[in-house]
Amino acid sequence: MDSKLLKPVLAVYVAAFILFLYGPFIVLGILSFQQGPEGGPQFPIIEWSTYWYRHLFGLTPPSRIAPLPVGEALLRSLTLAFMTMVTATVLGVMAAQAFRRRFKGAGIVFYLIVLGMMVPGVLTGLGTSLLANNVVGVERHWWTTAFVAHVVYTFPFAFLVMLAILNRFDGSVEEAAWSLGVSPARTFRKVTFPLIFPGVLSAMLFAFTLSFDEFPRTLFASGRDQTLPLAIYGTFSVEIHPNIFAFGVMTTLFSFSLLAIYGILMGLSVRRAKKIAMQEDIS
Amino acid sequence: MSTTAPSTERNGYTSWLLAPGVFWMILFLVAPIMMIVYVSFWTQTTFAINSTLTLDSWKNFFSSEAYVGALWTTLRLWLIVLALTFIIGYPAALFVGLLVKSKTVSTVLLVLCVIPFWTSFLIRVLAWRPMLGKEGAINIILQELGLIDSPIEVLLFSELSVIIGMTQIYVVFMVGPIAFMLGRIDRNIIEAARDLGAGFGRIFWKIIFPLSLPGVVVGAIFVSVMVLGEFATSGALSGRKVNLLGNIIVTQVGSLKWAMASVVGVILTILLGIVVAGFLRIVDLKSEL
Amino acid sequence: MGHTESIFRLDNVSRQFGELIALNDISFEAAQNEYISLLGPSGSGKTTLLRVMAGFEKPDTGRIHFLGQDITDLPAHKRGIGFVFQNFALFPHLSVFENIAFGLRNGIEDVAGTEIDTRVRDMVGLVGLEGLEDRVPDQISGGQKQRVALARTLVMQPKLVLLDEPLGALDANLRSRMQTELRHIRERLDVTFLHVTGSETEALAMGDTVAVLDQGRIIQSGTPEQIHDTPASSDVALFLNRFNLFDGTLSDNTFRGPFGSAPVQNARHNDTDVYAIRYDRTKAFRKGDALPGPALPARYLASEYLGSSVISFFETADHKQVEVDHHLSFGDPGEYEVGQDYILSWDPEHAIVFGREAAA
Repeated sequence: MDSKLLKPVLAVYVAAFILFLYGPFIVLGILSFQQGPEGGPQFPIIEWSTYWYRHLFGLTPPSRIAPLPVGEALLRSLTLAFMTMVTATVLGVMAAQAFRRRFKGAGIVFYLIVLGMMVPGVLTGLGTSLLANNVVGVERHWWTTAFVAHVVYTFPFAFLVMLAILNRFDGSVEEAAWSLGVSPARTFRKVTFPLIFPGVLSAMLFAFTLSFDEFPRTLFASGRDQTLPLAIYGTFSVEIHPNIFAFGVMTTLFSFSLLAIYGILMGLSVRRAKKIAMQEDIS
Repeated sequence: MSTTAPSTERNGYTSWLLAPGVFWMILFLVAPIMMIVYVSFWTQTTFAINSTLTLDSWKNFFSSEAYVGALWTTLRLWLIVLALTFIIGYPAALFVGLLVKSKTVSTVLLVLCVIPFWTSFLIRVLAWRPMLGKEGAINIILQELGLIDSPIEVLLFSELSVIIGMTQIYVVFMVGPIAFMLGRIDRNIIEAARDLGAGFGRIFWKIIFPLSLPGVVVGAIFVSVMVLGEFATSGALSGRKVNLLGNIIVTQVGSLKWAMASVVGVILTILLGIVVAGFLRIVDLKSEL
Repeated sequence: MGHTESIFRLDNVSRQFGELIALNDISFEAAQNEYISLLGPSGSGKTTLLRVMAGFEKPDTGRIHFLGQDITDLPAHKRGIGFVFQNFALFPHLSVFENIAFGLRNGIEDVAGTEIDTRVRDMVGLVGLEGLEDRVPDQISGGQKQRVALARTLVMQPKLVLLDEPLGALDANLRSRMQTELRHIRERLDVTFLHVTGSETEALAMGDTVAVLDQGRIIQSGTPEQIHDTPASSDVALFLNRFNLFDGTLSDNTFRGPFGSAPVQNARHNDTDVYAIRYDRTKAFRKGDALPGPALPARYLASEYLGSSVISFFETADHKQVEVDHHLSFGDPGEYEVGQDYILSWDPEHAIVFGREAAA
């Protein structure tokens, strides 16, 4: 094949490819503006309206279509994602910090951690439930069994992110701090942590979003109270209405705002250091 | 040497840093998987199980057409989706990773591929329903174009819809690693080969493809692990017509048949082990990455 | 500080990385208030020695004493030994002021804010960083970074500062200026500097004491004059990069080498027989000139003008390069023609001879 022809052909292909990735979501976005409450989850659009968005927030007069049971589920999911984020990031930073030095069994420990993201959610979910139900004899809750399963899943991501960051980290600044009489613990707080903070932010972002969206592990391990993905899954089996589409658009917007917060924090963390330095100087 | 942080205290420090993570993984990952293996040999009564060891659940699995059928369906769908993600993903990766000269354009394209992941996984699955349905976007477009007279019904709630859905969701995991490996290829090698008069086909098969192989393997491992453990996509897009091993586990747990769920879990684990080990034999990742 | 108590003492210190022996049974003692140069080629273990002394690494065997106290098992932050890194290792997220104040603010002792202020300002003045206090390391030059690194260490008032090739990252001009400045700063403060370098010029120029390290061993230590004039072995002579070295055989007070044979008055014990004559003791003659000693025919290659002297390069019949250093205070150098043969000679009394036969 002539490579001169190849590039434009592939460019068109990639455009089609991206359309393939986005197509369903575009359709979903369009249908979320379907007329309500009679309009169904399909074309054609009877009339454009924001009915289903208002329906989502309980701003429409009661109809035969029940509002999505998302309020409490959303709160649970946010709490769970936050707990998971903190735990996974702390574990990830600690483990990655340990990996900066060679030690016996490093290979095994590495694979043990990475296994957490490789084992499918059905298996960890099932195993955790079995353990809780039949051995430990504890009830399953989103904040117990589901939480530990979420950390098993997100800790490896945080670990890998931190490993990549620490690999490029020049340890001589830490040694410099020690030689100035600063203890290793304080050195970590005052030197290492501020310098790896952008990486920590990325690890937190990973852990939070993965946990917030986690479904298979939660399905088995969360017990009675539903998290957001479980609430969405619950609507699958019954007749779907465009309110779930509206909800999809909302969650996407939420994710993007999270991403935006991350971007802002990232930008700030770079500037912050310089600012702090100046403030301390004045005081 | 500057990248490693020598500490003042030697071994205790490392152990204390690792202990929490390692214990977490042993308690909540290794132990649960061991538990699945153990429970698969328990005795199942209607609504309870007890720890008397038996092979009954295993016998039940292999004597049931539905269960063994699920195993074959899982394998079939896995192979099809794996092939499709590779076939559809490779050209895209080739463009993004190698043919695009500007680093910025390449990054923008990769980010474009990743953005859909910021939407809930279940919403992404669900989004295929208005797309593929009888009155869905694709049928409408095809009818408008006059290509078909009546809507194609097999588009939704069939094996096809599951395959389409999974391919779309997982293809990015194939594109990413391949594009990464392609991006690392030294352009000078390709230029040199071209100067020697090699055509693109020859350059591709002799240089580009072999160098991208580790990316293909990593992508294939990602896709395999995810597809083999799937149950949500098949549940939501097949109208319960396609039952994968994951679906069996969900149903069994739902009816408190823990032992049978565990048998399926063990089979899934073994399957995954074989597949991942098989891929790792093709390329020695440690030396490549 | 009238008495001559030692600042530090190393007793049989060894450190091995796998197969590589970085430090091989080193014993060394240094006096207080000196500038000590530690000269060694790359891979000689000089950085490891510093890191072991600073507490960043532990020796496999041996003890380290600092101000009379055994500090072998003491962690780095409790040793009170300063360290200046080759890459400076400044805290990139802190201003120049905060970099210097870092140890005072975060150290074990509580230092009052006002005292921190005065001490940092004094130090800023000492190293000449006025006006740059609010900059971050990214906004200052290499030489300024070097000063911050030094000030950050000195503000802690350590008794010993270890400097790991501190001038290696600077350009040649800056390097010679910093050399003088480092010596001045040290003299003003009550402190010992242990300066590791791979440059023999730097080591000899800066050290009150020079120690030569090779393959994990200290092979000679003494004043720069001692090292320079009486290298203890042919290896030291080689590192100094100031000697033409010739292989040959030493027997019966005669050295037989490429220049024929030369009388030897006394020789130093060595593993091999080597004849060393300093560059500036080697002279070039035309055929037929009267020679002060042995005759070594060599072809002229090129010259290099170094300001106060001219180095001329010659090549012997067996393709060995020989250097002739002519100091301009002795008059103009001779005019040599490229490719022409000349005779190199020297006063044999100036030669330093190493041999297996010599008494240890």
